[in-house]
Amino acid sequence: MSPLESPIPYYPVNDFGPLMKGLVIGGVGIFHVFLAQFAIGGGMLMWYFERRGQRGHHDARTFVDGYFRILVLVSFVVGALTGVAMWFTTIQVGARTIGLMIDEFHWLWATEWVWFAVEITAGYAFYRYGPRLADRARLQLLALYAGASWMSLFWINGILSWQLTPGGWLDGGGVWAGFFNPSFWPSLVFRTAVSTTLGALVGCIVINTMDLPRDRKAALIRRAARFAAPIAGMPVIALWFMAVLPADSRSWLLGGSMAMTMFVGIAAGASLLIGGYVIVGLLVQRLYINGATATLLLALAFGATAAGEFVREGARKPYTVRGALYSTSIRPGEVAALRVSGATAGDPYPLRESYPSEQLARGARVVRTLCDACHTMRGANALVELTRTWSDDQLRLNLAKLQHTKGFMPPFAGNAEDVEAVVQLLRWERGERLTGFAASSSSDTLAQIARWLDEAGTEPAGAAR
Amino acid sequence: MWPFDASIESLWLGLYLATFALHAVFVSYVAAGAGYALVAALRGSADPIAARVRDWLPFMLGAGITAGVGPLLFVQLLYQRRFYTANLLLGPRWGAVVPALIIGFYALYLAKASERRRRLALGVAVACFAFVAWSWTELRLVMMDEPAWRAMYAAGARFYAEPAVVPRLVVWLGAMLSLFAVIAAWGAAPAERRRLAGLALGGLIVCGATTAIKVTLGRDFDPAHGWSYILAVSAIAAAVGWGWIGRRPDGPGLAVATAATTAALVAGTVVREAPRLAMIERARGASGNAGGILVFAVTLVLGVVAIRWIVRTVREHP
Repeated sequence: MSPLESPIPYYPVNDFGPLMKGLVIGGVGIFHVFLAQFAIGGGMLMWYFERRGQRGHHDARTFVDGYFRILVLVSFVVGALTGVAMWFTTIQVGARTIGLMIDEFHWLWATEWVWFAVEITAGYAFYRYGPRLADRARLQLLALYAGASWMSLFWINGILSWQLTPGGWLDGGGVWAGFFNPSFWPSLVFRTAVSTTLGALVGCIVINTMDLPRDRKAALIRRAARFAAPIAGMPVIALWFMAVLPADSRSWLLGGSMAMTMFVGIAAGASLLIGGYVIVGLLVQRLYINGATATLLLALAFGATAAGEFVREGARKPYTVRGALYSTSIRPGEVAALRVSGATAGDPYPLRESYPSEQLARGARVVRTLCDACHTMRGANALVELTRTWSDDQLRLNLAKLQHTKGFMPPFAGNAEDVEAVVQLLRWERGERLTGFAASSSSDTLAQIARWLDEAGTEPAGAAR
Repeated sequence: MWPFDASIESLWLGLYLATFALHAVFVSYVAAGAGYALVAALRGSADPIAARVRDWLPFMLGAGITAGVGPLLFVQLLYQRRFYTANLLLGPRWGAVVPALIIGFYALYLAKASERRRRLALGVAVACFAFVAWSWTELRLVMMDEPAWRAMYAAGARFYAEPAVVPRLVVWLGAMLSLFAVIAAWGAAPAERRRLAGLALGGLIVCGATTAIKVTLGRDFDPAHGWSYILAVSAIAAAVGWGWIGRRPDGPGLAVATAATTAALVAGTVVREAPRLAMIERARGASGNAGGILVFAVTLVLGVVAIRWIVRTVREHP
């Protein structure tokens, strides 16, 4: 069958070696989110300092002209390009997911693009002509820059939060029900607070590089630190966010999955440290923060951002769009048909590697289709290591009842032959790929797997919302 | 009017073509302008055109990338499966366009700021942009060559070494020179316009000759419902305009060349798309009725007004 004709789109799958795909997209995503949020907070901070500068605080004006160059050189272009990189990376990792997002939200994405274009134009205009502009025009341009960058966040936030909590969209409520989904507002407030904090911390670093006496730098730092104050509200925002999460996702964050719980802890701990330092040290005790300490806090903020993004991605499991698309790029409604036809019946792409038997080749195709998005064979989240101590029957049972084996796994979207092929492939891989490998699977075994598949059903372990 | 009708796909196509044309203007300035500045730097000449170009290149690249997000969005609606498949087949090598653009951007800043490192910086930038242009050309051709997909995947091939790549790149090079010359000429002195006229005419000749050879050898001329003729007539009119500039640099030749090049850009965009039109995927699921078009339309108007205000504001303080 042509790759263009299959009802379920099968795409060529790339192997990233020992890197699991989540790490690839996570790496690009965290970098992008950090830069983009810094650009937003930085814009707001500049508008505030420009206003102060025009009210007679000369140092604030000097700060704006120095800080802005850094903002432009770092965040505009790298931020914009990593945004494009996010698109390309998402295609590599889950083409069907990004396709669904584009299909549903293209007009809102186009809206976001318009705001982004305004942001870039206002930013460059200020960068290039700012020193020559009248005060009023400077302030207006910065307000436009900050406003447009926040609007860009507003629109993209709705699309991203929809992936985790699609809300009324699942009931056919359309784009707006999906956009203003349950996690839209907590996520927007959360990201806005992170943005202003990042802007303030970078601002503190830049202030330390200014050629000013210490007391004048301290005065600027105290003003900049106000923009980091919203991070003190993180515990409340985090509770709000937790409250709107689906119950199963919440349970993983609160101990159900130790990896995710640890990342929640890292994000919360890092935010607490930054918030504590800002509120107690900078705002209450009016301490001075030097460049090294500000850089350390910024590194902590990067850690918190990274952990937060990991949590956001992980909490969606077993979906990439909750209730609509599994992390395997298969829709819930397609699982039943794949249980009959097999997972790879429509896959038009050959294997790049040769295998000693047809069954092992089938296993490799099934792994490529169903497992590759989150697992590698021997690298990160390695199938060989995760299953090394399982007996063959245990492996068969656990794969057949995958969504019950672990709640954040999707139901197995293949038939009994597919399960057995994966079992034999894993045996072969665990045995260091022996050339004389003898597969052992009987009709009784296949019948037992089929019974387990039937018992597991085709529904996910958790509710769709 | 062909290729548009009343369908939602036509609206996507119209927006794709419009945003692509805008993107092409900026990237042409960047690619051809960086090449021009590199040649000037290698010759060691104090060329005022090159000085202005160096000054504007980082902004134009930023604008080109921003404008490029538009067509990147709409191409995913029109040719989703083909676009994603080509992305995946070219794999990490395709993804390398992003670091190449980042390196190119900072190289342009370096070329602007440091005279000592200018040649190296511009050389690096031109190499990066050439890589991006080549990658895009390959991606597009892979998208269209569905019979080759399985073999490419099986072989793990990251390059699409087909003969069609070269003439396509050469046509783009000619078009970019011509588009660059139009933009650069508006801020140029009369003597400089003559030089740009030579560049533009050279670009048009490259485009015309390559296309003629391709059509003659391949016998695959597609009138594209008359758009190909509009393109040819516009290109000839642009050449006449540039010839006029050569004789009278401060005359109306530049207006003629600009209008004709704009018409050629529009027609060229449609002609470029013509071979792919039959491959447009019908709207999937709810995508054809996706909400938000009104919000986009209003935002687009607001955005245009805001950008116009920005341009007017900075023009008042030259």
